[in-house]
Amino acid sequence: MISPLLQNAIVFANVISLMAISATLALSKTNVPNFAVATFGTIGIYVSFTYIKFFGIGLYPSLFFCFIFGGITGIIAYQAIIKPLRKRGATREEIMIATLGLDILLIALLNIYADYLTRTFKVMARDFTLSAYDFTIIGLSGVFVVSTLFLAAVLIALHLIFTKTNIGIALKAMGEDQSLAECQGVNTDLLCIITWFIVGALPATAGVFFSVNWISNPTISLFVVVSVFASCVLGGFSTIYDAALGSYIIAMTQVLLVPYIATIIGPWILPYGFLVALLIMVLTIIIFPQGLYGLPWDAIRERLRNFFNDISKYWRFKR
Amino acid sequence: MVIPGPEFFITLIIYVMIFLIITLSYNLAYGYTGIPDFGRAMAAGAGGFICGYLPGRLMFYMLGFQGDYLENVYLVVDKINAVLFRNPLLSIALLIITILSGAVASAILGFLASLPILRGIRLFYLGVTLLAIQIGFNTIVYHWPQFIRGELGVPVPDPFKWLTYYSSSMISPGIMRSIGIIATSGVILALTIFYIISVSKSPLSRVLKAIRDDEISVAALGRDVRGLYVKVMVISYALTGAAGAIFALYQGYVVGLHFDRVEWTFWPIAMVILGGLANYKGTIAGTIFFITLKRLIIFYKAYLEPILPFSPIWAESLLLGLVLILTLIYRPRGLFPEKPETSLSRKEIEKIKREKIIQKF
Repeated sequence: MISPLLQNAIVFANVISLMAISATLALSKTNVPNFAVATFGTIGIYVSFTYIKFFGIGLYPSLFFCFIFGGITGIIAYQAIIKPLRKRGATREEIMIATLGLDILLIALLNIYADYLTRTFKVMARDFTLSAYDFTIIGLSGVFVVSTLFLAAVLIALHLIFTKTNIGIALKAMGEDQSLAECQGVNTDLLCIITWFIVGALPATAGVFFSVNWISNPTISLFVVVSVFASCVLGGFSTIYDAALGSYIIAMTQVLLVPYIATIIGPWILPYGFLVALLIMVLTIIIFPQGLYGLPWDAIRERLRNFFNDISKYWRFKR
Repeated sequence: MVIPGPEFFITLIIYVMIFLIITLSYNLAYGYTGIPDFGRAMAAGAGGFICGYLPGRLMFYMLGFQGDYLENVYLVVDKINAVLFRNPLLSIALLIITILSGAVASAILGFLASLPILRGIRLFYLGVTLLAIQIGFNTIVYHWPQFIRGELGVPVPDPFKWLTYYSSSMISPGIMRSIGIIATSGVILALTIFYIISVSKSPLSRVLKAIRDDEISVAALGRDVRGLYVKVMVISYALTGAAGAIFALYQGYVVGLHFDRVEWTFWPIAMVILGGLANYKGTIAGTIFFITLKRLIIFYKAYLEPILPFSPIWAESLLLGLVLILTLIYRPRGLFPEKPETSLSRKEIEKIKREKIIQKF
């Protein structure tokens, strides 16, 4: 059976993957570096919290509402902020600062909402977990099963959309060159709306998974965002697959490796856990700035093949 | 409703001066050179945290105290302050050493932070990296008890203590101390403004703006673009570090939680953007406007609390987010838009134009 620590690590990897996929989509398809990605996750947490506490809906049924609400928030962010900025020809740095502004605005609104819930309904709307609403199946936590299945479904669905549908091809064209795509008759505005729906929906759903295992509050995104960006940078900000792979490497290192090191050198290292993500990010930027996506995979495969051939030859010779 | 008294205005002046140093130096990095530095809190923090670490220990060893500094920090700092009270020259020397060490520590951080540029990474990546590094920097300080006792913090020796000797029934010791802080930050601010004005009127300003607008073209003309990025970061960080040190001296206490990113990175960005990029007049206007607004919100917090259905702290964040977004959408060039740069003065250009016309006929 999978140990609870490994289950936790995989849940964290799934959460980070969904957020990293969202940030990668926003950048690679619509050329927007979205700093508010982790806060979309916090929106999901509070939507789920509201549905569970006030409408009596279960944790997993509330995922549907988180997905929709997150998606709508994404569309609003695009229509109200990104679209007007692009219309006036804002630079990528300006759009980046605007998403920072959006992040601050959303965190403030979430704090106001938490204050409102606490004052009006006398519920503890800060520092809570939704673990009480989770289930267990054959020794596995529900959040582990559901988040893994959800990530797999998202990856398959996005893969099919990008490779088998006209929308996917149009999205690829838009990601390469938006003006050229428009010249070919692609409705880039509609595609941006679709992309931003996904950009908002994925992290909002991921936020619910996060709140099952970890304490949540309106400012929790400030701590998660480092791991998300580290995953994106490691993935290379290019494809959803590299983003997911980068997230798994970061999450496994953060959740599994750091506690292991703590058993050797002492528990003082535990608070610095997320610095591992930071370290990986800085090393990626300095050593291979294009991330996993930019690695010469063919050459690596060739070298590995040669290496294993040499080993097998050596053993044969020894016998 | 209470009208703000002199203490409010003294605090306001100090805050405005400290933040002006930060925003003017940030404008050099972002406004002139286009470096999206989202780790500015780290620069102010380096200056502030050094202030909690160095001067106390320096005096501790200089005065030959025995025992562990951090264990007896309150007692030791009290004794140091008693010595500083009687010794103005020592106080001034300590003040200069503290601010200089804060600036040097931040300059070193600025150099380290600009290393990714030397690797040729895109500026967007730099912004993301600096934001993350700043979070890491604060975490390290917060969880490192041997440095400034993390969340407990340490008191800072007061190099303005000797000024309280000159207080009278008319001027309280607190006001005398504030005068010392205003004078110190005034000197650093004057140096910063002098430097920024000198840069803005020199050919260097045109090179920096050209780098901001088209880095490749400037490199093609033989300029060392990456070297200039590093120099700008180092100078800008050093100035911000000095401001951070002054802030720590003003507070008289440093905690690992000080110098958070919203207060020391995002607010300065909003001030610079609202004022206008690459324009020191705009930066000054933006800073004065925002700091006054923030201080008024804090001053009237008790009055706002019953009116608002939420804590007034969030009103500040709401305001910050909205101003950033709305300014970028509706007034991207700020209140004082950047003027086109000419290598010759307007008069000289007109003169040449006239001469050309005369030659033609």
